[in-house]
Amino acid sequence: MNAIEITQLKKSYGSVPIVKGIDLIVKRGEIFGFLGRNGAGKSTLINMLTGIIQPSSGTYSLLSVEGPNDQVKKRVGVMPDYSTLYGSLTAVEHLKFLSALSGNPATKVRCMEVLQLVGLESHAHKKAAKFSFGMKKKLGIAQAIVHNPELIFLDEPTSGLDAESAIHIHRLISQLQKEGKTIFMTSHNLDEVEKICTTIAIMKEGQIVKVGTMDELRAFYRSTITIKLKHSPIQKANQELLNEWLESFGTDVIMNDSYTTINIDEEKKIAEMIRAFNQCKVDILRVEVEEPTLEDIFLDDSLNERI
Amino acid sequence: MYVIGKREFFSLFKGIKSIIIVGMLLVTSYYSAKFSNFLASGMELTAKEAENIHTVGLLTLILIFGQLFVMGLSHDSLNRELHERTIRFLVTRTSRTSIIFGKFLGIWLFWFVCLTVSFLLISIFAQKIDVFIFSQTMSLLTYQIALTILLSVLIPKPGFTMFLGIVVGLAFPILGLWVNFTSNVWVSWTKFISPYYYLIREDYTFLVIVLLAGIMLITANLIFKRREC
Repeated sequence: MNAIEITQLKKSYGSVPIVKGIDLIVKRGEIFGFLGRNGAGKSTLINMLTGIIQPSSGTYSLLSVEGPNDQVKKRVGVMPDYSTLYGSLTAVEHLKFLSALSGNPATKVRCMEVLQLVGLESHAHKKAAKFSFGMKKKLGIAQAIVHNPELIFLDEPTSGLDAESAIHIHRLISQLQKEGKTIFMTSHNLDEVEKICTTIAIMKEGQIVKVGTMDELRAFYRSTITIKLKHSPIQKANQELLNEWLESFGTDVIMNDSYTTINIDEEKKIAEMIRAFNQCKVDILRVEVEEPTLEDIFLDDSLNERI
Repeated sequence: MYVIGKREFFSLFKGIKSIIIVGMLLVTSYYSAKFSNFLASGMELTAKEAENIHTVGLLTLILIFGQLFVMGLSHDSLNRELHERTIRFLVTRTSRTSIIFGKFLGIWLFWFVCLTVSFLLISIFAQKIDVFIFSQTMSLLTYQIALTILLSVLIPKPGFTMFLGIVVGLAFPILGLWVNFTSNVWVSWTKFISPYYYLIREDYTFLVIVLLAGIMLITANLIFKRREC
Protein backbone atom coordinates (compact mmCIF):
# COMPACT_ATOMS: atom_id res chain seq x y z
CA MET A 1 0.00 0.00 0.00
CA ASN A 2 1.26 3.42 -0.92
CA ALA A 3 0.83 6.47 1.26
CA ILE A 4 1.81 8.92 -1.46
CA GLU A 5 1.90 8.54 -5.24
CA ILE A 6 3.06 11.44 -7.37
CA THR A 7 3.08 11.49 -11.17
CA GLN A 8 4.75 14.26 -13.14
CA LEU A 9 3.89 16.93 -10.61
CA LYS A 10 5.01 20.38 -11.74
CA LYS A 11 4.84 23.90 -10.38
CA SER A 12 5.86 27.04 -12.20
CA TYR A 13 5.52 30.70 -11.36
CA GLY A 14 5.18 32.43 -14.71
CA SER A 15 7.93 31.02 -16.86
CA VAL A 16 10.06 29.99 -13.88
CA PRO A 17 9.76 26.27 -13.11
CA ILE A 18 10.14 25.47 -9.41
CA VAL A 19 9.20 21.78 -9.42
CA LYS A 20 10.03 20.15 -12.75
CA GLY A 21 7.96 17.01 -13.00
CA ILE A 22 8.29 14.74 -9.99
CA ASP A 23 7.44 11.03 -9.93
CA LEU A 24 7.54 9.51 -6.48
CA ILE A 25 6.04 6.69 -4.42
CA VAL A 26 6.12 6.61 -0.63
CA LYS A 27 5.04 3.34 0.96
CA ARG A 28 2.91 3.24 4.09
CA GLY A 29 4.82 2.98 7.37
CA GLU A 30 7.93 4.71 6.08
CA ILE A 31 9.85 7.66 7.46
CA PHE A 32 10.58 9.36 4.18
CA GLY A 33 13.35 11.97 4.33
CA PHE A 34 13.43 14.68 1.73
CA LEU A 35 16.74 16.44 1.29
CA GLY A 36 17.66 19.45 -0.76
CA ARG A 37 19.33 22.81 -0.64
CA ASN A 38 17.37 25.98 0.00
CA GLY A 39 15.20 26.70 -3.03
CA ALA A 40 15.38 23.11 -4.32
CA GLY A 41 11.58 22.89 -4.26
CA LYS A 42 11.03 20.71 -1.16
CA SER A 43 8.53 22.98 0.56
CA THR A 44 6.78 23.72 -2.75
CA LEU A 45 6.25 19.97 -3.21
CA ILE A 46 4.86 19.58 0.34
CA ASN A 47 2.66 22.64 -0.14
CA MET A 48 1.19 21.14 -3.33
CA LEU A 49 0.51 17.81 -1.65
CA THR A 50 -1.15 19.41 1.36
CA GLY A 51 -3.41 21.83 -0.55
CA ILE A 52 -1.57 25.03 0.36
CA ILE A 53 -0.79 25.73 -3.31
CA GLN A 54 -2.14 24.32 -6.55
CA PRO A 55 0.10 22.28 -8.85
CA SER A 56 0.59 23.62 -12.41
CA SER A 57 0.20 20.09 -13.77
CA GLY A 58 0.50 16.44 -12.79
CA THR A 59 -1.40 14.21 -10.41
CA TYR A 60 -0.97 12.89 -6.89
CA SER A 61 -2.80 10.73 -4.42
CA LEU A 62 -2.59 10.57 -0.63
CA LEU A 63 -3.60 7.35 1.18
CA SER A 64 -4.93 6.03 -2.16
CA VAL A 65 -7.27 9.00 -2.58
CA GLU A 66 -6.66 11.16 -5.62
CA GLY A 67 -5.86 14.74 -4.70
CA PRO A 68 -6.78 17.44 -4.15
CA ASN A 69 -9.40 15.99 -1.83
CA ASP A 70 -10.81 17.69 1.25
CA GLN A 71 -11.98 14.47 2.91
CA VAL A 72 -8.50 12.93 3.00
CA LYS A 73 -7.23 16.01 4.86
CA LYS A 74 -8.82 14.60 8.01
CA ARG A 75 -6.40 11.65 7.83
CA VAL A 76 -3.35 13.82 7.22
CA GLY A 77 -1.32 15.95 9.64
CA VAL A 78 0.77 18.86 8.41
CA MET A 79 3.43 20.98 9.99
CA PRO A 80 4.00 23.71 7.38
CA ASP A 81 7.47 25.19 6.91
CA TYR A 82 6.70 28.68 8.08
CA SER A 83 3.62 29.66 10.01
CA THR A 84 2.97 31.80 12.99
CA LEU A 85 0.52 30.55 15.54
CA TYR A 86 -2.59 32.28 16.88
CA GLY A 87 -1.01 34.57 19.46
CA SER A 88 -4.18 34.84 21.55
CA LEU A 89 -4.62 31.06 21.93
CA THR A 90 -2.83 28.84 24.45
CA ALA A 91 -1.16 25.58 23.41
CA VAL A 92 -4.18 23.55 24.57
CA GLU A 93 -6.62 25.88 22.81
CA HIS A 94 -4.63 25.48 19.58
CA LEU A 95 -4.84 21.72 19.81
CA LYS A 96 -8.55 21.74 20.65
CA PHE A 97 -9.44 24.11 17.80
CA LEU A 98 -7.31 22.43 15.14
CA SER A 99 -8.25 18.87 16.10
CA ALA A 100 -11.94 19.83 15.97
CA LEU A 101 -11.32 21.30 12.52
CA SER A 102 -9.89 17.95 11.44
CA GLY A 103 -13.09 16.26 12.57
CA ASN A 104 -11.52 14.47 15.53
CA PRO A 105 -11.89 16.82 18.53
CA ALA A 106 -9.25 16.16 21.17
CA THR A 107 -10.10 16.00 24.85
CA LYS A 108 -8.02 17.96 27.33
CA VAL A 109 -6.35 14.70 28.38
CA ARG A 110 -5.38 13.95 24.76
CA CYS A 111 -4.05 17.52 24.33
CA MET A 112 -1.88 17.16 27.43
CA GLU A 113 -0.68 13.77 26.22
CA VAL A 114 0.42 15.24 22.87
CA LEU A 115 2.04 18.24 24.52
CA GLN A 116 3.97 15.84 26.72
CA LEU A 117 5.13 13.94 23.63
CA VAL A 118 6.68 17.11 22.20
CA GLY A 119 7.98 18.32 25.57
CA LEU A 120 5.64 21.26 25.97
CA GLU A 121 3.42 20.09 28.84
CA SER A 122 4.67 22.75 31.23
CA HIS A 123 3.53 25.48 28.81
CA ALA A 124 0.10 24.05 28.05
CA HIS A 125 -1.77 27.11 29.27
CA LYS A 126 0.63 29.78 28.07
CA LYS A 127 -0.46 31.95 25.13
CA ALA A 128 1.43 31.24 21.91
CA ALA A 129 2.40 34.92 21.59
CA LYS A 130 4.82 34.35 24.47
CA PHE A 131 6.38 31.22 22.94
CA SER A 132 10.00 31.06 21.83
CA PHE A 133 10.85 29.85 18.31
CA GLY A 134 11.59 26.33 19.55
CA MET A 135 8.35 26.16 21.51
CA LYS A 136 6.38 27.26 18.44
CA LYS A 137 8.09 24.51 16.47
CA LYS A 138 7.07 21.94 19.07
CA LEU A 139 3.49 23.16 19.06
CA GLY A 140 3.60 22.97 15.26
CA ILE A 141 4.48 19.28 15.54
CA ALA A 142 1.85 18.73 18.25
CA GLN A 143 -0.95 20.20 16.10
CA ALA A 144 0.13 17.95 13.22
CA ILE A 145 -0.31 14.77 15.27
CA VAL A 146 -3.11 15.64 17.72
CA HIS A 147 -5.92 14.25 15.54
CA ASN A 148 -4.13 10.91 15.15
CA PRO A 149 -3.48 11.13 11.38
CA GLU A 150 -2.22 8.25 9.23
CA LEU A 151 0.12 10.41 7.15
CA ILE A 152 2.20 13.20 8.64
CA PHE A 153 4.07 15.92 6.73
CA LEU A 154 6.79 17.61 8.74
CA ASP A 155 8.66 20.45 7.06
CA GLU A 156 11.97 20.82 8.86
CA PRO A 157 10.67 19.60 12.22
CA THR A 158 13.88 20.09 14.19
CA SER A 159 15.37 23.24 12.68
CA GLY A 160 15.87 25.78 15.43
CA LEU A 161 15.51 23.23 18.23
CA ASP A 162 18.21 22.60 20.83
CA ALA A 163 20.04 19.26 20.68
CA GLU A 164 18.02 17.67 23.51
CA SER A 165 14.68 18.68 21.99
CA ALA A 166 15.80 17.46 18.56
CA ILE A 167 16.62 14.02 20.00
CA HIS A 168 13.23 14.05 21.72
CA ILE A 169 11.53 14.76 18.38
CA HIS A 170 13.58 12.04 16.63
CA ARG A 171 12.30 9.53 19.18
CA LEU A 172 8.76 10.78 18.70
CA ILE A 173 9.01 10.37 14.92
CA SER A 174 10.32 6.82 15.32
CA GLN A 175 7.52 6.10 17.81
CA LEU A 176 4.91 7.37 15.35
CA GLN A 177 6.34 5.09 12.68
CA LYS A 178 6.07 2.11 15.06
CA GLU A 179 2.40 2.97 15.47
CA GLY A 180 2.03 2.46 11.71
CA LYS A 181 1.99 6.07 10.61
CA THR A 182 3.81 7.33 7.53
CA ILE A 183 6.06 10.33 8.01
CA PHE A 184 7.18 12.53 5.14
CA MET A 185 9.76 14.99 6.39
CA THR A 186 12.19 17.49 4.96
CA SER A 187 15.37 18.48 6.69
CA HIS A 188 18.67 20.24 6.27
CA ASN A 189 20.21 18.09 8.95
CA LEU A 190 21.89 15.23 7.10
CA ASP A 191 22.77 13.31 10.28
CA GLU A 192 19.14 13.41 11.34
CA VAL A 193 17.91 12.07 8.00
CA GLU A 194 20.58 9.36 7.93
CA LYS A 195 19.70 8.36 11.49
CA ILE A 196 15.92 8.16 11.41
CA CYS A 197 14.69 7.94 7.79
CA THR A 198 13.99 4.59 6.18
CA THR A 199 14.01 6.05 2.66
CA ILE A 200 15.70 9.20 1.43
CA ALA A 201 15.13 11.35 -1.62
CA ILE A 202 17.55 14.03 -2.77
CA MET A 203 16.07 16.97 -4.63
CA LYS A 204 18.09 19.37 -6.74
CA GLU A 205 16.78 22.24 -8.81
CA GLY A 206 13.19 21.05 -8.78
CA GLN A 207 13.92 17.42 -9.58
CA ILE A 208 14.47 14.30 -7.54
CA VAL A 209 17.95 13.11 -8.43
CA LYS A 210 17.96 9.94 -6.32
CA VAL A 211 15.63 7.96 -4.09
CA GLY A 212 16.46 4.92 -1.98
CA THR A 213 17.51 3.54 1.35
CA MET A 214 20.83 4.68 2.77
CA ASP A 215 22.47 1.44 1.55
CA GLU A 216 21.09 1.90 -1.95
CA LEU A 217 22.30 5.49 -2.08
CA ARG A 218 25.77 4.44 -0.92
CA ALA A 219 25.92 1.64 -3.48
CA PHE A 220 24.86 4.02 -6.22
CA TYR A 221 27.19 6.77 -5.17
CA ARG A 222 30.32 4.73 -4.90
CA SER A 223 31.18 1.74 -7.05
CA THR A 224 34.32 0.89 -5.02
CA ILE A 225 34.85 0.29 -1.33
CA THR A 226 38.03 1.48 0.38
CA ILE A 227 39.43 -1.05 2.85
CA LYS A 228 42.15 -0.27 5.35
CA LEU A 229 43.66 -3.27 7.10
CA LYS A 230 45.80 -3.10 10.21
CA HIS A 231 47.93 -6.22 10.45
CA SER A 232 51.03 -7.75 11.99
CA PRO A 233 54.31 -7.21 10.07
CA ILE A 234 54.54 -9.17 6.79
CA GLN A 235 57.56 -11.33 6.20
CA LYS A 236 59.80 -10.09 3.38
CA ALA A 237 59.29 -13.30 1.41
CA ASN A 238 55.51 -12.96 1.46
CA GLN A 239 55.38 -9.20 0.98
CA GLU A 240 55.99 -9.26 -2.78
CA LEU A 241 53.71 -12.20 -3.35
CA LEU A 242 50.90 -10.60 -1.39
CA ASN A 243 51.37 -7.26 -3.11
CA GLU A 244 51.21 -8.92 -6.52
CA TRP A 245 48.03 -10.73 -5.56
CA LEU A 246 46.40 -7.55 -4.18
CA GLU A 247 47.25 -5.60 -7.35
CA SER A 248 45.33 -8.16 -9.39
CA PHE A 249 42.53 -8.23 -6.80
CA GLY A 250 41.81 -4.49 -6.38
CA THR A 251 43.15 -1.05 -7.20
CA ASP A 252 45.17 1.70 -5.52
CA VAL A 253 47.07 -0.70 -3.26
CA ILE A 254 49.23 0.94 -0.63
CA MET A 255 51.19 -1.44 1.56
CA ASN A 256 53.53 -0.87 4.47
CA ASP A 257 54.60 -2.77 7.56
CA SER A 258 51.41 -2.63 9.53
CA TYR A 259 48.78 -1.10 7.20
CA THR A 260 47.42 -2.00 3.78
CA THR A 261 44.90 0.11 1.89
CA ILE A 262 43.04 -1.12 -1.19
CA ASN A 263 39.94 -0.28 -3.24
CA ILE A 264 37.71 -3.23 -4.08
CA ASP A 265 34.44 -3.44 -5.96
CA GLU A 266 32.56 -6.02 -3.88
CA GLU A 267 32.00 -6.52 -0.17
CA LYS A 268 32.67 -10.31 -0.35
CA LYS A 269 36.25 -9.63 -1.41
CA ILE A 270 37.01 -8.51 2.13
CA ALA A 271 36.69 -12.11 3.36
CA GLU A 272 38.97 -13.36 0.56
CA MET A 273 41.59 -10.77 1.49
CA ILE A 274 41.54 -11.80 5.13
CA ARG A 275 42.00 -15.45 4.12
CA ALA A 276 44.95 -14.50 1.87
CA PHE A 277 46.62 -12.57 4.69
CA ASN A 278 46.08 -15.47 7.09
CA GLN A 279 47.65 -17.92 4.63
CA CYS A 280 50.72 -15.70 4.58
CA LYS A 281 50.77 -15.97 8.39
CA VAL A 282 49.78 -12.32 8.83
CA ASP A 283 47.32 -11.54 11.62
CA ILE A 284 44.54 -9.10 10.82
CA LEU A 285 44.17 -6.70 13.74
CA ARG A 286 41.56 -4.31 12.38
CA VAL A 287 39.46 -3.84 9.24
CA GLU A 288 38.20 -0.34 8.43
CA VAL A 289 35.65 0.13 5.66
CA GLU A 290 35.32 3.65 4.34
CA GLU A 291 31.76 4.28 3.20
CA PRO A 292 30.30 7.46 1.77
CA THR A 293 28.20 9.39 4.24
CA LEU A 294 24.95 11.08 3.30
CA GLU A 295 26.94 14.31 3.34
CA ASP A 296 29.28 12.95 0.63
CA ILE A 297 26.31 11.86 -1.46
CA PHE A 298 24.41 15.10 -0.92
CA LEU A 299 27.37 17.30 -1.80
CA ASP A 300 28.26 15.32 -4.90
CA ASP A 301 27.40 17.68 -7.73
CA SER A 302 27.97 14.98 -10.31
CA LEU A 303 24.94 13.06 -9.00
CA ASN A 304 22.70 14.82 -11.48
CA GLU A 305 24.88 13.85 -14.41
CA ARG A 306 25.22 10.23 -13.33
CA ILE A 307 21.48 9.59 -13.55
CA MET B 1 -17.34 25.24 8.73
CA TYR B 2 -19.06 25.25 12.14
CA VAL B 3 -15.71 25.04 14.00
CA ILE B 4 -14.37 28.06 12.11
CA GLY B 5 -17.71 29.86 12.54
CA LYS B 6 -17.71 29.20 16.29
CA ARG B 7 -14.18 30.50 16.71
CA GLU B 8 -14.93 33.60 14.62
CA PHE B 9 -18.14 34.22 16.58
CA PHE B 10 -16.51 34.08 20.02
CA SER B 11 -13.37 35.95 18.97
CA LEU B 12 -15.58 38.86 17.79
CA PHE B 13 -16.83 39.36 21.33
CA LYS B 14 -13.26 39.81 22.57
CA GLY B 15 -11.49 43.11 22.33
CA ILE B 16 -12.23 46.73 22.98
CA LYS B 17 -13.50 47.46 19.43
CA SER B 18 -16.34 44.97 19.82
CA ILE B 19 -17.27 46.23 23.28
CA ILE B 20 -17.48 49.83 22.00
CA ILE B 21 -19.57 48.91 18.94
CA VAL B 22 -21.94 46.61 20.85
CA GLY B 23 -22.23 49.32 23.53
CA MET B 24 -23.09 51.98 20.92
CA LEU B 25 -25.66 49.69 19.36
CA LEU B 26 -27.38 48.89 22.63
CA VAL B 27 -27.26 52.41 24.05
CA THR B 28 -28.66 53.85 20.79
CA SER B 29 -31.41 51.23 20.68
CA TYR B 30 -32.41 51.78 24.27
CA TYR B 31 -32.41 55.57 24.35
CA SER B 32 -33.80 56.11 20.85
CA ALA B 33 -36.67 53.80 21.72
CA LYS B 34 -37.15 55.47 25.08
CA PHE B 35 -37.29 58.97 23.63
CA SER B 36 -38.95 58.07 20.35
CA ASN B 37 -42.21 59.73 21.41
CA PHE B 38 -40.46 63.09 21.65
CA LEU B 39 -39.18 62.58 18.13
CA ALA B 40 -42.61 61.57 16.88
CA SER B 41 -44.20 64.64 18.38
CA GLY B 42 -41.86 66.99 16.47
CA MET B 43 -42.42 65.43 13.02
CA GLU B 44 -45.27 64.67 10.73
CA LEU B 45 -45.39 60.92 10.34
CA THR B 46 -47.65 58.46 8.62
CA ALA B 47 -49.41 55.90 10.79
CA LYS B 48 -46.96 53.24 9.62
CA GLU B 49 -43.96 55.45 10.39
CA ALA B 50 -45.33 56.34 13.80
CA GLU B 51 -45.85 52.68 14.56
CA ASN B 52 -42.17 51.92 13.89
CA ILE B 53 -40.70 55.06 15.41
CA HIS B 54 -39.01 53.07 18.22
CA THR B 55 -36.55 51.45 15.81
CA VAL B 56 -35.58 54.67 14.03
CA GLY B 57 -32.42 55.29 16.10
CA LEU B 58 -31.06 51.80 15.59
CA LEU B 59 -31.91 51.79 11.89
CA THR B 60 -30.24 55.18 11.33
CA LEU B 61 -27.13 53.94 13.12
CA ILE B 62 -26.94 50.77 11.00
CA LEU B 63 -27.83 52.51 7.72
CA ILE B 64 -25.14 55.12 8.20
CA PHE B 65 -22.46 53.34 10.20
CA GLY B 66 -23.28 49.65 9.61
CA GLN B 67 -20.63 49.15 6.94
CA LEU B 68 -18.07 50.99 9.05
CA PHE B 69 -18.83 48.84 12.09
CA VAL B 70 -18.72 45.56 10.18
CA MET B 71 -15.48 46.47 8.42
CA GLY B 72 -13.98 47.85 11.61
CA LEU B 73 -14.39 44.49 13.30
CA SER B 74 -13.86 42.07 10.41
CA HIS B 75 -11.81 43.79 7.66
CA ASP B 76 -8.93 41.37 8.29
CA SER B 77 -10.88 38.19 8.97
CA LEU B 78 -9.20 36.42 6.05
CA ASN B 79 -6.24 38.50 4.95
CA ARG B 80 -4.80 38.54 8.48
CA GLU B 81 -4.68 34.74 8.36
CA LEU B 82 -3.15 34.86 4.87
CA HIS B 83 -0.63 37.49 5.93
CA GLU B 84 0.44 35.62 9.06
CA ARG B 85 0.11 32.26 7.32
CA THR B 86 -2.10 30.80 10.06
CA ILE B 87 -4.39 30.03 7.11
CA ARG B 88 -2.08 27.09 6.39
CA PHE B 89 -3.39 25.36 9.51
CA LEU B 90 -6.90 25.74 8.13
CA VAL B 91 -6.42 24.87 4.44
CA THR B 92 -4.51 21.69 5.33
CA ARG B 93 -7.47 20.49 7.41
CA THR B 94 -10.63 21.59 5.69
CA SER B 95 -11.96 22.90 2.37
CA ARG B 96 -11.52 26.51 1.36
CA THR B 97 -15.28 26.81 0.94
CA SER B 98 -15.73 25.79 4.59
CA ILE B 99 -13.27 28.49 5.63
CA ILE B 100 -15.07 31.27 3.71
CA PHE B 101 -18.56 30.21 4.76
CA GLY B 102 -17.40 29.45 8.32
CA LYS B 103 -15.99 32.97 8.66
CA PHE B 104 -19.20 34.40 7.21
CA LEU B 105 -21.35 32.32 9.54
CA GLY B 106 -19.40 33.45 12.63
CA ILE B 107 -19.60 37.15 11.73
CA TRP B 108 -23.25 36.85 10.68
CA LEU B 109 -24.18 35.17 13.99
CA PHE B 110 -22.37 37.90 15.93
CA TRP B 111 -24.44 40.60 14.25
CA PHE B 112 -27.61 38.50 14.50
CA VAL B 113 -27.14 38.26 18.27
CA CYS B 114 -26.34 42.00 18.55
CA LEU B 115 -29.38 42.94 16.48
CA THR B 116 -31.67 40.53 18.36
CA VAL B 117 -30.59 41.98 21.72
CA SER B 118 -31.09 45.52 20.34
CA PHE B 119 -34.60 44.68 19.13
CA LEU B 120 -35.39 43.06 22.50
CA LEU B 121 -34.33 46.30 24.20
CA ILE B 122 -36.53 48.26 21.81
CA SER B 123 -39.42 45.91 22.48
CA ILE B 124 -39.42 47.09 26.12
CA PHE B 125 -40.84 50.39 24.85
CA ALA B 126 -42.47 49.31 21.59
CA GLN B 127 -44.16 46.30 23.24
CA LYS B 128 -43.49 44.29 20.05
CA ILE B 129 -40.77 43.08 17.73
CA ASP B 130 -41.27 44.01 14.09
CA VAL B 131 -40.00 40.92 12.26
CA PHE B 132 -40.16 42.70 8.88
CA ILE B 133 -37.86 45.55 9.95
CA PHE B 134 -35.62 43.07 11.75
CA SER B 135 -35.33 40.99 8.53
CA GLN B 136 -34.64 44.07 6.42
CA THR B 137 -31.89 45.22 8.80
CA MET B 138 -30.39 41.75 8.94
CA SER B 139 -30.38 41.58 5.14
CA LEU B 140 -28.41 44.85 5.05
CA LEU B 141 -25.92 43.47 7.57
CA THR B 142 -25.66 40.25 5.54
CA TYR B 143 -24.73 42.32 2.48
CA GLN B 144 -22.18 44.33 4.46
CA ILE B 145 -20.59 41.19 5.93
CA ALA B 146 -20.32 39.56 2.49
CA LEU B 147 -18.72 42.74 1.06
CA THR B 148 -16.26 42.80 3.97
CA ILE B 149 -15.27 39.17 3.33
CA LEU B 150 -14.92 39.80 -0.41
CA LEU B 151 -12.58 42.75 0.24
CA SER B 152 -10.62 40.72 2.80
CA VAL B 153 -10.01 38.02 0.17
CA LEU B 154 -9.28 40.48 -2.65
CA ILE B 155 -6.80 42.62 -0.72
CA PRO B 156 -3.92 40.69 0.84
CA LYS B 157 -2.66 43.40 3.21
CA PRO B 158 -4.62 43.85 6.49
CA GLY B 159 -3.25 47.38 6.85
CA PHE B 160 -4.83 48.37 3.56
CA THR B 161 -8.23 46.85 4.35
CA MET B 162 -8.20 48.76 7.63
CA PHE B 163 -7.77 52.02 5.69
CA LEU B 164 -10.22 50.88 3.03
CA GLY B 165 -12.68 49.92 5.77
CA ILE B 166 -12.90 53.53 6.90
CA VAL B 167 -13.21 54.88 3.34
CA VAL B 168 -15.77 52.27 2.24
CA GLY B 169 -17.58 52.51 5.57
CA LEU B 170 -18.08 56.26 5.19
CA ALA B 171 -18.60 56.36 1.42
CA PHE B 172 -20.94 53.36 1.25
CA PRO B 173 -24.09 54.99 2.74
CA ILE B 174 -23.43 58.32 1.01
CA LEU B 175 -22.94 56.80 -2.45
CA GLY B 176 -25.62 54.17 -1.82
CA LEU B 177 -28.28 56.79 -1.06
CA TRP B 178 -27.05 59.17 -3.79
CA VAL B 179 -27.32 56.58 -6.59
CA ASN B 180 -30.89 55.92 -5.49
CA PHE B 181 -32.01 59.49 -5.98
CA THR B 182 -29.75 60.75 -8.76
CA SER B 183 -31.03 61.21 -12.30
CA ASN B 184 -27.53 60.75 -13.75
CA VAL B 185 -28.00 57.86 -16.19
CA TRP B 186 -24.33 56.88 -16.02
CA VAL B 187 -24.48 55.94 -12.37
CA SER B 188 -28.15 55.44 -11.58
CA TRP B 189 -28.02 51.80 -12.76
CA THR B 190 -25.72 51.03 -9.81
CA LYS B 191 -28.73 51.45 -7.51
CA PHE B 192 -29.66 47.89 -8.43
CA ILE B 193 -26.53 46.56 -6.71
CA SER B 194 -26.96 48.92 -3.76
CA PRO B 195 -28.94 47.53 -0.80
CA TYR B 196 -30.63 50.89 -0.16
CA TYR B 197 -32.74 50.60 -3.33
CA TYR B 198 -34.41 47.47 -1.95
CA LEU B 199 -34.59 48.74 1.65
CA ILE B 200 -36.67 51.83 0.91
CA ARG B 201 -39.38 49.65 -0.61
CA GLU B 202 -42.04 48.34 1.72
CA ASP B 203 -42.07 44.85 0.29
CA TYR B 204 -40.06 41.67 0.26
CA THR B 205 -37.61 42.85 -2.42
CA PHE B 206 -35.07 43.14 0.41
CA LEU B 207 -34.50 39.45 -0.29
CA VAL B 208 -32.57 40.61 -3.38
CA ILE B 209 -30.00 42.01 -0.92
CA VAL B 210 -29.46 38.50 0.44
CA LEU B 211 -29.06 37.30 -3.13
CA LEU B 212 -26.44 39.99 -3.81
CA ALA B 213 -24.64 38.95 -0.61
CA GLY B 214 -24.68 35.35 -1.87
CA ILE B 215 -23.11 36.43 -5.18
CA MET B 216 -20.35 38.30 -3.32
CA LEU B 217 -19.66 35.29 -1.10
CA ILE B 218 -19.48 32.92 -4.06
CA THR B 219 -17.09 35.36 -5.79
CA ALA B 220 -14.96 35.52 -2.65
CA ASN B 221 -14.93 31.73 -2.53
CA LEU B 222 -13.84 31.41 -6.17
CA ILE B 223 -11.02 33.91 -5.65
CA PHE B 224 -9.93 32.23 -2.41
CA LYS B 225 -9.83 28.82 -4.09
CA ARG B 226 -7.25 30.14 -6.56
CA ARG B 227 -5.22 31.95 -3.95
CA GLU B 228 -1.92 30.52 -2.74
CA CYS B 229 -1.50 30.42 1.00
